[in-house]
Amino acid sequence: MDPVKYRNLFLEEATEHLAEIGRALLELEKDPRAGAPLDLVFRLVHSMKGMGASLGYDAVSDLAHKLEDRLGRWRARGGIDEPEGLPLLFRSLEALERMVAEVRATGGPPHPAPETVAALAPAEGEPEPRKKAPPQPARVMG
Amino acid sequence: MAVRVLVADDARFMRQLIREIIEAEGFEVVGEAADGRAVVEEFTRLHPDVVTMDIVMPKRSGIDAVREILALDATAKIAMVSALGQEALVMEALQAGASDYIVKPFKPDAVIATLRKVVEKEQ
Repeated sequence: MDPVKYRNLFLEEATEHLAEIGRALLELEKDPRAGAPLDLVFRLVHSMKGMGASLGYDAVSDLAHKLEDRLGRWRARGGIDEPEGLPLLFRSLEALERMVAEVRATGGPPHPAPETVAALAPAEGEPEPRKKAPPQPARVMG
Repeated sequence: MAVRVLVADDARFMRQLIREIIEAEGFEVVGEAADGRAVVEEFTRLHPDVVTMDIVMPKRSGIDAVREILALDATAKIAMVSALGQEALVMEALQAGASDYIVKPFKPDAVIATLRKVVEKEQ
């Protein structure tokens, strides 16, 4: 695996994903129960997790993993049903953007965002639901 | 004759990585698909020996695509591509008829061993 080639692929694709996540969050701001943008963010964050893990960018994969879990819980409950949900999503997006910018600037793995990761953890006593099946066509295609 | 593989993943990064790993071992990537609808279309067109199928994809999930492909060809061989935290979905895919699974981040030896096992599997 050529690290430079895959770092560049990561930078290209992650930048696109983050822009798309940003647009989806604006839609969720209007309607936190909207299924399609929530599914989209879930899928893109899942993709960020895979790329980060493949390159050894633990900060990216850890944050994306926790975010994916949180998104999974919201999807299972039919939407973002907590007042802190959207601010947490925007904060997570900013952290991921900072990490991608750091990779671009230094060429090395980015620093973690432990406070954001901790904020994404389930509340004490909150059960871990079985992960919902991936997006269904009717909801994703729009 | 090289094993003909169809690679389905919505991330270019992952498609490229799988391609690189399996081509280095003499497999032939005959096609790529970036969503769950395209993989069914490409399967019908290309008739690959094996499909690597991401689970989380747009338009149609990898699990739904497995069901559709197997409805078209009950002998199709499909290896799911999964990640940490997707154990329940992998089980669902195997119950739907997928042959086996590979895990991200990829360990090249494990990817190759799994694909060889899937291709050699009796129906």
